[in-house]
Formats: sequence, C-alpha cells, structure tokens
Amino acid sequence: MAVACLYPVLSALRLGFYDWSMGTPWSSATYQGFDAFIRAFTDPAVWRSLYTTLVFAFVCVSAEMVLGIALALALEERKQKPLKGMMVFRTLFILPMMIAPIAVGLTWRYLFDAQFGLLNALVGLFGVEPIGWLANEHLAFTAIIIADIWQWTPFVFIMMIAALANMDTSVIEAAKIDGATWWQSVWLVKLPMIQNVIVITLLMRLIDAFRVLEVIYILTFGGPGDSTEILSLHIYKTAFISQRLGSAAAISVMLLMVVALLSWWALRLSNPLKDKE
Amino acid sequence: MQRRELIQSAVTTSALSVFGAALPFASSFAQDRFAKYRGSTVVMSIPAHPHYDAMLKLLPEFTKETGIKVEVDKLAVPRMKDKQLLEMAKAQGDYDLICYVVMWKGEYVKKDLIRELEPFFKNASLADPGYDMKDIVPGYLENMGLVGGPKGYLAGPGAKLYGLPYGAETSILAYRRDIFAEHNLKAPETYAQMQALLPILKQKTGFGAMTSRGQAGHQCVHAWLLHLNPLGGKVFDANWKPVFNSPQGIQALKFLKEISDSGPAGIPSYGQGEMMTAFLQGQASMYLDATVIFGPVNDPARSKIAGKVSYVAHPKGVRYSSQSGGLGLAIPKNAKNADAGFLLMQWLTSKAQDVAVCKLGGGPTRNSTMVNADLVRQYPEYITLKEQLKYSDPDWRPIIPEWDEINIQALGVAVSEALTGKKTAEEALNGMIPKVTDIMKRGGYLKS
Amino acid sequence: MKHRLHYAALIFLAIFCVLPIVVMFVTSLKLQTQIFNTGINFIFTPTLQNYRDVLNEGGFMRYLSNSLIVGLASTLITLALGCMAAYGLARFRFRGRNTVAYTTLLLRTVPLAVLAVPVFMIWNEAGIINSLSGLVLLYVAVNLPFTIWLLYGFIAQVPIELEEAALMDGCSPIQVFYKVVLPLIKPGLAAASIFTFRIAWNEFILALVLTDRATRTLPVAASLYITDIGVDWGRIMALGSLIAIPPLLFTFIAAQQIITGLTAGSVKG
Repeated sequence: MAVACLYPVLSALRLGFYDWSMGTPWSSATYQGFDAFIRAFTDPAVWRSLYTTLVFAFVCVSAEMVLGIALALALEERKQKPLKGMMVFRTLFILPMMIAPIAVGLTWRYLFDAQFGLLNALVGLFGVEPIGWLANEHLAFTAIIIADIWQWTPFVFIMMIAALANMDTSVIEAAKIDGATWWQSVWLVKLPMIQNVIVITLLMRLIDAFRVLEVIYILTFGGPGDSTEILSLHIYKTAFISQRLGSAAAISVMLLMVVALLSWWALRLSNPLKDKE
Repeated sequence: MQRRELIQSAVTTSALSVFGAALPFASSFAQDRFAKYRGSTVVMSIPAHPHYDAMLKLLPEFTKETGIKVEVDKLAVPRMKDKQLLEMAKAQGDYDLICYVVMWKGEYVKKDLIRELEPFFKNASLADPGYDMKDIVPGYLENMGLVGGPKGYLAGPGAKLYGLPYGAETSILAYRRDIFAEHNLKAPETYAQMQALLPILKQKTGFGAMTSRGQAGHQCVHAWLLHLNPLGGKVFDANWKPVFNSPQGIQALKFLKEISDSGPAGIPSYGQGEMMTAFLQGQASMYLDATVIFGPVNDPARSKIAGKVSYVAHPKGVRYSSQSGGLGLAIPKNAKNADAGFLLMQWLTSKAQDVAVCKLGGGPTRNSTMVNADLVRQYPEYITLKEQLKYSDPDWRPIIPEWDEINIQALGVAVSEALTGKKTAEEALNGMIPKVTDIMKRGGYLKS
Repeated sequence: MKHRLHYAALIFLAIFCVLPIVVMFVTSLKLQTQIFNTGINFIFTPTLQNYRDVLNEGGFMRYLSNSLIVGLASTLITLALGCMAAYGLARFRFRGRNTVAYTTLLLRTVPLAVLAVPVFMIWNEAGIINSLSGLVLLYVAVNLPFTIWLLYGFIAQVPIELEEAALMDGCSPIQVFYKVVLPLIKPGLAAASIFTFRIAWNEFILALVLTDRATRTLPVAASLYITDIGVDWGRIMALGSLIAIPPLLFTFIAAQQIITGLTAGSVKG
C-alpha cells in the first residue's frame, strides 16, 4: 500500500525540480533546482489563486459542517417520537453526492445559464432582467460555492448520522433524566461524544475543498478573469495546458504546505490521536 | 503528307493502345496499394466533433474497399490532447493516426512526435496518383500542415508538411435575413458598418445584436483575434515582441466589449457552444465565427432558424482577414501501422470521400468539393465560403508551442477581465505584457 | 409549532437538494431545441431518444461493466485493508505511529492532476497501464488514507473495556477484532464503503489517463458528449442520470447498515 501510494506522490514532487513537459522523453528534462519553486512563490497569479481557494474553502466547509450536523441531528434515529418520512428525507439528502462531478458541473451550468437557466427564469417571474450569473466575478464565485455546498453537505450528513448511530444512548438518557434541555444535550453531551468524527470530517472536507477540480472546470473554467480559479485548477492548467509540469509540482508543494498548516490547526482543537484520559 | 498523317495516326493509336492497356493495370495497381495491409487494423484518435461524427459513417466503406479495419478512440478535445501526448511519448504507441488542432502543430513537431508526410507521398507503393494535392484549399493546407518555415508555422523556405487538413474552418458572417429585411437593414461589409448595426439591432429587435464567445481562456481570446486581425493588429511583431496592446489591439478589445454589451446576456461566460446556441435559438441576429455553423443551422433538433439565415464574408477592417484553423490529421512517430494509417488519411482526404463527408454534415477540404453541384444545392453557402477562403489568413494567430500557455493563462485572463469591465481594455492588455514577455523569454524567442 | 418550522426547513432543503437532479433527469428527456426554450416550461413532449442514443453508443455495456468491476473491487479491498490498518493504529502503540498517521493524511492533499502524469509513467513501466487491475490498485492507494482515518474515528469510540472483557472471556485478539469490534463499527464501515465506491465510480482524471478504449470507465465516456462545438446536453444528462443509479443503489444498501446500526444493548451493560 505504502509503495503504491507514496511512490507516485514522491515522483510527482520530484518533478518540481525539473523543467519537463509532457510528450518529451524523461531524459530530456533539464534540472532547474529551486527555480520552479521560487517562481511559484513570487507569481501573483498563484497568490491570487491561493486567496480565492482559502475563501472558497472557508465558506464552503463552514456551511457544509453546520448544515450537515444540523440535518443529522434533525433526522437521527429517535425511538420515542420518530419523525415522519425520515427515510425519505435521509435518502433525498444523500443524493447530491452520488452524481458524477461532470453531471453536477453541467447541470449547475445549465441552471445558471443567463438565457435558458432555471434561476433566471425564476428570477424573471419577479420581473428582474436576466442576470449573467457566470459572467460576473462575484456571482460566479457565489455560483461555485453554492454548487459545492449542494454537492458535499451530504458527505458531512452521512458521517454525522453514522457517528450519532454509534453513540452510547445511555448517556443521553441519563442527561435527560437530569433535566437537560434538547439544546443542552446536543451541545454538552452529543457533540463532544462524536468529537473525533467531527474533526475527521472537518479535515476531510478541508482537504477536499482544496482539490475540487471538475465542477469548477465545467462551471466557469476559472473565469471570469481568474476570479474562480482555485489552486487545483491553476495547477491543472499549468500542468496540462501550459505544459509546465515542474511548476505545477512546485505549486502543489505549496498547496500541501498550506493544507498541512490548516490540518495542524484543526487537529489542535481536538486530536483523535491523543490518548484519552 | 499522307505519310506524316499515317505516322501520326500510328503513333497516336499505339500510344492510345499502350495507355489503354495501362488503364486496367493502373487500377489494379491501385488495389495493390492496399493489398499488403489487408486485415490489419488502424487505431485512430478523434475528437467529439460533428465533422468526425460524419467521418465515422464513412469508415465501413473504407474497410470494405481495402480490408483494413479501423478502431476509433473518441475523446473530448482537451482530453484528446492529454491522451495523445501520453501515448506518443511511449516507445510504441497505441495510435496510428491522430486528429490534432492546428494550434498544436508546432508543439508536436518540436517534441518530435509526428512524421513528415513527404516520404509517404513520394512512396509509389502508397501514394494515390489521382490525389491532386493542389485541389486542397491552399490556405487550409498551409495553416494546418506546414511546420518549420518562416515564423515556424508559415509557408516558405524550410516548411515541411506534417499534416493534412480535415475538419478545417474559417470565419464567416451569418445573419438573419428575415430580421434584416423586416428592419430594412443591409448586411455589413465593413467593420464600421457592423459597429453601427449593433445598437440599432438591439434596440429594434429587443434581443441581442451579435452573439460571441467570451469565456475566460481560449474562448475569449479567439473572439478577440477575430477582430484583431481585420483591424490590422497582431499579437507579436516581426521580432516576437508582444505588441497586442497596440492601438489596434485595444480597438479590437473595445469592439468585442461592445458586442458583449449589445449581445445576448451572459457573453462573458459563453463558450463556443453557448454562442452557437444563442444564434440557433433566435437570441441574436448576427453570428461572426467559425463555419462549423453551417450544419447545425439546418438541423431541426438544434435550430429554430432554419431557412432564415444568409451568409456574407467576414467584414473588412483595414483589410480582409478571416480565421484560419480547425482540425487536421497526422501520423505519430511511434505508430505501429504508420503505412496503413497513411492510406486511411489519404483516402479520407481524397476527392470522392471529401464530397461524401460533406453530404453527411462534415466540412469541405477541397476546392472541387465546394463547386460540386449536389453539395452547392445542399449548402448554398459554399459559394460564399469559396470567396471567403481567399482571405483566410495563415498568420491569424502565432502557432508557436508556447501559444497554449499565452492563450489560456495570460491573454485569456486579460481579455476576460476587460469583458466584464473589471479593467479597461488598455489596463488589461498593458497589464499582461510583462507576463507574456516572460513566457517568450523562457521560450527563447526574446533575449533577456 | 417548533415541529412545523422543523418540517418546513427540512422540506425547503430537500427541494434544494433534489431540484438539480430533477432538472438533470428532465433535461435528459428533451431535445436540444426544447432544452433551450427560455422561461419555465414543464409541459413538453418527453422523448427517450437521448437514452437510446447513449445506450447504442457502442461500448456502453463495456464501460458499465468496467466501472462496476473497478468500483466494487476497489471498495472491497480498501475496506479490508483499511479496517485492519485503522485497528492497528488505534490499539497498538508503535514508534512513528503519529508520523504514519499524518503522512497518510497529507498524501490525500495532492491534487490528482499532478499525480496523473507520474502515475502514467510508473504504471506504464510496471506494465499495468490500460488495465482494470492497475486502476483498482491506484484507487485503493488513493482511498486508503481517508478510510483509515474514518474507521479510526469509529474504532476510537469503542470502549476498550469491551475488548478487554472479551479477551478475558478467552477470545484470541483476532476474534476480538472480528466478533466485537467490527460489528460495533458497522455504521463506519458502511459510510466508508459509500465514499470509496463513490470515488471509484465517479473519478475522472486518473481513469482518463490509465485506461484505453477497452478499459474505459463511465465518467470518461460521459466527457465524450462535451463536443468541440458545445455540449450535447440531452445525451450527457441521460448518461449522467444512468451513471447515478448504481451509487444510489449501493448507498441504499449500505445506508441500511447505518440506520439499523446497533442501538441494541451491546454497549450498555
């Protein structure tokens, strides 16, 4: 396992030290030392892309965590007062994650289309002129956030439901007997109990938000300008379009460092690896 | 005198009989061309494109005639390039024949991935004597297939043939005949006239005047180049210095913005598909872009405007200059069945098959195809196209290996920002000069 | 009253969830001109032409079986290796434990685009290029880190007293693993299987690079409908709808496990 996983990654990182483009034999790659890294760190486009990615990740992950946890709590298994239609709701909320990213990107592109999209049709009912959602920087950014929240909240939802199902209900019952309100039982009892899973979910979402590619590629291709060009898309363009795999690898290292930093911060809040008292 | 006549007639008769005898020999010789490869398989890499969809219908005929089987690997264009680069870099690749976009020719030759075609055409056992290379539209051939000449991509000393056009295109102006008649308007012949029409059409019809591409990256740059060239601008000067921020460049970009502002909503996010859809669904009165629109206009499943469209030449700015570009065929260096691949390539671009593919919805590659009586009845726009091709400019865009990067990551961002109004045309273009200069320096075109 | 607000919010969110999927499905029943009618139109004559075109497109059955094989194989192997590794991580203290854990986490951050080219070259050298097993191997490697972390979280929640009790009752460590721990983390296993299957089924760029015509998977086939001159909307929506069915089925089956997860008394008492 380690070999299959580690070796490609290491060789990908090694690319950062060479000037190589696809289609040429590896032997013709010229060693360029830290050139690519320096260029990546001083390129304003890369920093702009990083900033865009950070804002994107922050907004999406926060929204998804909150929504996901709220939905899981609302729909968790309840013996005493089962919510009507719970199965239906649960199924519906899982759906978005199952659709292939290509279809997700295209469907949202269609919905946001200025001429023929459903959104403008709805908005038109209120007499508003058709809005070029994807033609405006801020609206396009909002569009990719909406698409991501739509697609990934189910992930958080499933994790939370699984964690809640795994919980030791006797503690909750004890709390209720002690007179705790629903709010209190959530904040003070349930959430801390599934703390580990919450942190892992948060980490995963954070890492994945930095890796989103296909949906944004199809929705806006990074435009207008480079307002929606998140780092993974920038890396893709550098690697496959500009044929500068060395630079792409260098930027990926930068990405890795940023994510490592964020993960470390998240783990400081609650580290599942730490031994419990 | 009689003797001379006798000798003349004798010579003629003998010549005729030799020639006559040679005729069946020639055709059986032609059959022999394929004999050696009967039973082999050619693997072809093709894009998802209407011209190649039409071609697919011709392939069974090829197999019947020659006994060579064809397997196609169809992919979306950007994926096709990724896969081709990976395959062609291997010691022995999967593909015997590839379709490529004109912009890649410099890169492919520089990386030594495709073969020169001269040797194939000179090979008597492979070449088709009835091929008639001169019949292929010269503009297409030069643009699509020549590498190594002046500037690296034009005809001239040093230029060698590496590919044949198949699915090539130029730009043309399509407009709604009915709308123009209704409002008593004349089709524009110059850029000034076209510019004047934009606000008039928007106001009189209530919907977009002209549709256009606009999405960040390749799309918006393509749209900008459409206007840059007729207005007299260029991306680089003769010494490869970036001059796209010249007054002409700024003028072209401002004009593009006018089109965007008076066009259907959302142009800054339009790819080629959205642009065509807007026109085909009646959301715009004019279309100035690739000739690939010919087929879809008359397709009832895609178009609401069939029968209402007329075509004129791409208007004149300071000169006539229409797009040159599109798709072509080439043979990878590491192909297993290069000869059979060449036979297929030659067959597809031959006179008979060119007519056949056009009947099925493809685009013409040869002059003779465009004057074919049946086809002209099916596509009256071929008459305009033939005239237009005289002005198709092989130097329409700099086809250097670095173009992809400049196109998508540099100019593609600048043009898009000007279109959304984030920056003015001057700011956007001026701001991109340093980055492009840097790319050119890295490519060795400019000395530091 | 609070209940009704509860419901209203749920219904609103459910509509938001489902609307795009409904749009996707409805679009698959339309022809191009209908798709691009302005305004809202629910009344149109549906057509199955798109589905017919997609199913007749040569290799559909082949792509489907490729995707199924890759999806199921990756999921099973990843689960098997993952839960054992997670257990090891949770229960055994060994040197470098933290580094191993964190490295596996960081491995996931590498964008697949950057991974694609080296993987192509390495897999080519190893001779497993363009093969389904090569793709499965890669998916397992890519999904393992996440699965390990996920299952770790669940295992960590199992009170160690249970295992100690079982050991005292005479179970061997392996039996403890199989009979005590595994059943208790069933919801976690189900969640992990859903995610792994989803990735193996929907993944695009690595599949593009590592497969050829014969071993192509469905998402790569779907990208074919993005033609050079625009998107073939009706057909790609049809394929998208079809592709969505297996993961949905898989999720229903796996979700049952989560829902009927144990609440029955094994943790108490």
